[in-house]
Order: sequence, then structure tokens, then C-alpha cells
Amino acid sequence: MLPLLRKGRWAAVLTAFFISQSWGQERLQLCAACHGEDGNSTNPQIPSIAAQPKLFIETQLVLFREELRKSDQMLPVVKGLKDADIVKLAEHFSKLPAKGMEAGSPNKELLGRGQKAAQKLRCGICHLSDFSGQNQIPRLAGQREAYLEAEMRAYRDGKRTGGDTIMAAALYGVSDADIRALAHYLSRSSVRSRAPGP
Amino acid sequence: MKKLIALAVAAAFAAPALSQDKPAPPPAWKQGMPAKMKDSKLAPHAGKMTETPASDIQVSKLKAPAGFKVELWASGLPGGRAMALSEDGKKVYLGTRVIGRVYEVTDAGDKRTVRVVVDKLTQPAGVAFKDGSLYVFAIDKVLKFDGIAGNPGAQPQDLTAKFDLPKEQHHNWKYIAFGPDGKLYVPFGSPCNICEPPKEYGQIRRYNADGSGKEVIATGVRNSVGFDWHPKTKEMYFTDHGRDWMGDNGPQDELNRLAKPGANFGFPYCHANGIADADFPKKDGCKGVTRPVLLMGPHAAAMGVKFYTGKMFPAEYRNTMFIARKGSWNRSKPMGFDVVNVRVGEGGKATMRPFLTGFQEGAEGYKFWGRPAYVAQMPDGALLVSDEQVGAIYRISYQRPKAPAKKK
Repeated sequence: MLPLLRKGRWAAVLTAFFISQSWGQERLQLCAACHGEDGNSTNPQIPSIAAQPKLFIETQLVLFREELRKSDQMLPVVKGLKDADIVKLAEHFSKLPAKGMEAGSPNKELLGRGQKAAQKLRCGICHLSDFSGQNQIPRLAGQREAYLEAEMRAYRDGKRTGGDTIMAAALYGVSDADIRALAHYLSRSSVRSRAPGP
Repeated sequence: MKKLIALAVAAAFAAPALSQDKPAPPPAWKQGMPAKMKDSKLAPHAGKMTETPASDIQVSKLKAPAGFKVELWASGLPGGRAMALSEDGKKVYLGTRVIGRVYEVTDAGDKRTVRVVVDKLTQPAGVAFKDGSLYVFAIDKVLKFDGIAGNPGAQPQDLTAKFDLPKEQHHNWKYIAFGPDGKLYVPFGSPCNICEPPKEYGQIRRYNADGSGKEVIATGVRNSVGFDWHPKTKEMYFTDHGRDWMGDNGPQDELNRLAKPGANFGFPYCHANGIADADFPKKDGCKGVTRPVLLMGPHAAAMGVKFYTGKMFPAEYRNTMFIARKGSWNRSKPMGFDVVNVRVGEGGKATMRPFLTGFQEGAEGYKFWGRPAYVAQMPDGALLVSDEQVGAIYRISYQRPKAPAKKK
């Protein structure tokens, strides 16, 4: 408990407390089982959800629940969640600090190619220049590499639908090699600890 | 730049097997963004997909002219926008975009209940009610629910095949309404910020209620998501959103009048009151183009249009329009975020004045809490205004003062 109390993380602790008091620790544990105890995923295929913008988490949970973003893993978990539960979950995870989870030294060539591709595609305009995300737009910095790669391909190939079509358009015609490089670069971009806010 | 846009537009419609070395097209909302604005942070505002508790809806901040009362009438309608009322006005149906639902609000006198009629649709923004049936238009689907106001279990008929819907999604969420001729009017927006739209787009069509008799009645339309008919002249008035990335001050959104079927409203060559397009210049591009009856403000997002025919409001409002302006994003300072009252005077000249304000704080940064989208009239003459941002409906009523009204 104590290390959490450093650096003004009271809000996160209070939210966690509130959540555990009001509708049980079970839901949070359900999330944590796959996305990591602290919201930073130890499974390369599964995204980190700590320090994601609150509105982004809310929106994705609603899209999963409404079966507009299709996922066999997420649907049973979110089915029956009320909007108020979703708001609380989003509040909780958005306030947890992000950690980069990719181990091993980065591949310099891939990093360079990824950085160039990110500049060309202007990812930073929506995701912000440090890729920390904003509002409905996710944090990419420090996200799991394999997950990023799979999702970008899914967007490009029209397999991740629901919500807006902006990402499908942004990744239109981008090569597999560029997507791999983007995932490598973004997953290793340094993560900014998120101040409470949108 | 022109080449780049042409390429982007071509790419958007090309078969998926495009060479992988070509640059990706920007998202549709960013097409036409000039190179000098490439680092612009302007982007469409995020919608909200979860319920906003009634206690968080800041209805006390809303201001209307003296004598009018504004109250929160219904909430718990995330993404709710266009409204269609049943004949007796006891049911209000709302379409949505991303969240994919159609809601039914039941008026039980002192309170309202909300249920989801249908969900998991692709942007079912269009709702209309006629002869006991609810019509729902998603981008790729048309459903008709017979007798739904009295039978919550009514199953839909799928009329999709009858309506010949083109496949592009951008700007092809719908507003729909039945005209005084009994026909169903449906817009097909231009699937881009700026482009020469393929022939199925950039137009408004009308159909018989069963989907037969398709007829294109307006062309050169960028993205209209609101219209109504003048109670006396029966002419159709429709709003149309101006293009983005041509600067803070234009081209302005339009309020157009369709005097005769087949008129051309200028897109993509001629905007607002005769502004030539920056990316698609064309000699005589404004020739034969029907000019708007009123400019609705740059990037203001003029949406729902409703002629007032009730008896509750003062007589000066009779046969004038209420138009919701959802509010700008492609502008450094906010524009819109209000409901305006528009009067068409002698010779077709129109004027606009504010009616409902207070969604946005101040004139500088974007500090809005709500976004008015559509207007409907209740049987008693009160107005309903939907707020797409917080998923709510406000009711505006008028109390005739006992003493003579103060002059405004």
C-alpha cells in the first residue's frame, strides 16, 4: 500500500477503495487477471489499460458490450455492465501509472523505420506528440508491441470495426513492415505518467 | 496539394489492392487540410457513450428569452440525436450514431421512461414516424416497426433492399423525414470533407414509404442532416454543413430552400454565398447554383430544423424555424453550441437570432458541456431539444405573462 501513496496517487487509491467497497473487488480482479494487477499487461497479446484516457476506456467498454467492437474474450466480461460501472472502471484504470512492458533491447533499424512512419502518418496529431493519448484516443506509448501490431493490421484490413472509421483510413495501404516498425517504435516510446484528467 | 487531395480521394474509393508504397489517405475529416495546417490540433470532439446522470446535466446554465422555461425532460440517452414523435406525442424515438441504438422515451406525465428499441446497428441516426410505423435508417440498413408505440415487442421489417443505399459510410448517417407529399426524404452526404462525390452521393432523395419511386431532388449537397417544410408554402428548407480546413471564417454552413426538385446547391465547387473551393476550383463553378437563404455561421454544425406551428409560444414564432447548431470543431474559437430562431421575411430574406444558449462558456476556448442537435414540437406546443453530448432532451415551454409582456 505504502509505495502507492507516493507522488500524489491518492485519487487512484481512493477510487480503488471506492470501487472495492461499492461493488466488490471481483470485477477489478477480473480485469487484472488479463490486463495486469496494475493495469500494465504482462501478456504480450493483451493491451495495457493503465493510464489510458478515461473516455477511451469508457468508449471501448461500451463498444465491446454493444458488440460493435467484436471480441470473444471481452464480451462475456462486459456483458451486463452498467454505464455507471463502466465509468468507475475507466476512472480507476485511467489513473494508474503506465509502465513500458517490453523487455529486451530495441532493434535500432525498426525503431528508426517506425519513427519515420509515425511522422509520415502524423500519429501524434491525435495521439499527441508523446503518444500519451487524449479523450477518446488511446495511449500508444509503452503499449504491448504484439497487440499494437495485431490491432493496426485489423484496422487496415477492415477487421476492427465499430466506432469511427478514422483509424481504418489512417492505416489504409500501410505495409506490414511499416506496421511492425510502428508497433516496435510505439511500444518502446517512453511513457508519461498520467496526471488525473481526461 | 491538389494532387494530394485527388490522390487521397481516389484512394478512398479505389479497390483495396493499392500499392503499399503510396501514402495513406488522411481520414475523411482531414481531407483538404492545407499543408500549412498540418500540425493543427483541431479534431472532431469526442462523443460520450455512457449515461450522464441527470444531476450532472447543467440545465440551469441554459438561457432562453424571457417567459420561456427550460427543463430537463429526459436523460439516459447516450448519443441520442434526431427525434421522431408518435402521433399522440407520448413516445419519442431517438436515433444515434456510434453507439448503434434507437431509443424510445415514453412520456408518463411527470416522468419519462427510456428503453432501447433496437441496437447493434451501424449509425442508426435516421428516425421517422408515420401512420403508426417507426422507420429507422442506419448507414446500411432500413427497418420499419409497425404499431410499435402500442406494442413494445413489434418486430421490424427489413426494407434495406428497397432503398438502394450506397456503401460509403462517411457523411452517410441519415436524417430522415416525411414531407407534406407523404414521401420519405433521405440525404446521401458526400463521403469526404472535400471531393467530387461519386454519383450516388452529395444529394437528397425522396422515396415512397415502401422504397419505390426513388427520385433525386437536390444535388451539390455536402452533408445535410436536418430539414423541414414551410407550413404554408410547403417548400423544403435544409441545413448543409460547410467544408473544413478553409479557415476559421468559412465557408459558412447553409440554410437552403428547395423551391423546385432538381436544384443544385454547389458542392464541391461553390460554397455558401458563392465562395469558390480552394481545392476544386472550377470556372463558372457557381453558375446555376442555388444560393442559401441564410448563412448559419462558419463550422457551426447547423443540424435539426423545425418550423414552429404550435399555439403555446407567442405569435411572432409561428411559422419560424428553430435550428440547432451543434457547435464547431474546425475553428480556433467556438461557433454555434446553441439553438437559433430563423425567420424568413418578405422576398425570402432570412434573419437569425439566438434562442437557447449556455451550452458553451465564453467565446474563446472550447468549454462546452452539451451540444444541441435536434428540435421537435410536442402536441401542446412545447419544444423538445436533444443534446447529443450528454444524451438528454430538454423541454422548453412558454408561460404567457399575466401583466403585458416587457418589450425586449
